[in-house]
Amino acid sequence: MIDQDLKLNLMSARQQLSPQKILDLIPYSSFIGAQAKFDGSEVIYWLDRRPSNIGNPSLPAIHGGVIGGFLELSASIEILYSLDVASIPKVVDFSLDYLRPGRYKTIYAACTVLRQGKNLVNVAATAWQDDASEPIATARCHFLLP
Amino acid sequence: MVNLKFAIFKPMLKLAMERTGHGAALGFELTKIGRGEVEMTFPYKLEVVGNPVTGVIHGGVIVSLLDTCCGCAAITTLTRSAVTPTMDLRLDYMHPAEPNKPIYVAAKVYRDTSNVVFCRGSAWQDDQENPIAHCVATFMKVETPSISFGNIVRRNFRRFILGKKVYEQAGDK
Repeated sequence: MIDQDLKLNLMSARQQLSPQKILDLIPYSSFIGAQAKFDGSEVIYWLDRRPSNIGNPSLPAIHGGVIGGFLELSASIEILYSLDVASIPKVVDFSLDYLRPGRYKTIYAACTVLRQGKNLVNVAATAWQDDASEPIATARCHFLLP
Repeated sequence: MVNLKFAIFKPMLKLAMERTGHGAALGFELTKIGRGEVEMTFPYKLEVVGNPVTGVIHGGVIVSLLDTCCGCAAITTLTRSAVTPTMDLRLDYMHPAEPNKPIYVAAKVYRDTSNVVFCRGSAWQDDQENPIAHCVATFMKVETPSISFGNIVRRNFRRFILGKKVYEQAGDK
């Protein structure tokens, strides 16, 4: 893929209100099975359970790294979808707090762009399973805009 | 006796990490397991690319690798039956990983207390002094014999021997 293709794809995804179209551009999202949709007010990301995302097979629990990767992916999609950027932002740092174990079922996530500067964007992401008021993990990350 | 136990534990940890769940999907290899010190190697893979223009792998993979590596290092410090869930993980990305090159990851426990294990880790490609990412992670020590690592390993071992399907019935609880 070249830069121009990516730009066009990003623009058409925004026009069609389809964050899933942006996810489809990134191979890692299908590797973990991340999905997204715009529900009218915000973008909801989710990750259906699959054997290749298990960390502890005895519980079973979702791999902590998958939860982290999923939140980082969601945060970057949030930027690509809600801000006018033409290429994939670079992640600078990522901080993740695990609040509850990730059970072997669907994980949901929502992101908020807390600040957009000239070069840097700060995004907060929260993941939950049954109840949005009981998050399983929260993350914040900085991205460098291209 | 302790060393003998650890000698048996090492290949089991390797097997459990490399052959099950997300570890198997990623396909990394644990190259060194010592008390509080673990190293691994991850080959470049097209499936985990995060930037389709440049072919750079996604940061989420680095999160998984460092979380796994630090987690393994934390497990090796345990002397009793317990699990070590991650409390928090912080990563700094120094520069993007170059495509088509393996990534080396090392983690070290720098403080081991009765309740919490403090780890740091880094990932690099050509030069360990010029890492692509650096992380600090803290792990809780939770004593729960039923889900202890020894039990996990034993159950996994049985699965490998008998070749049973593992996860199908396990969800929906």
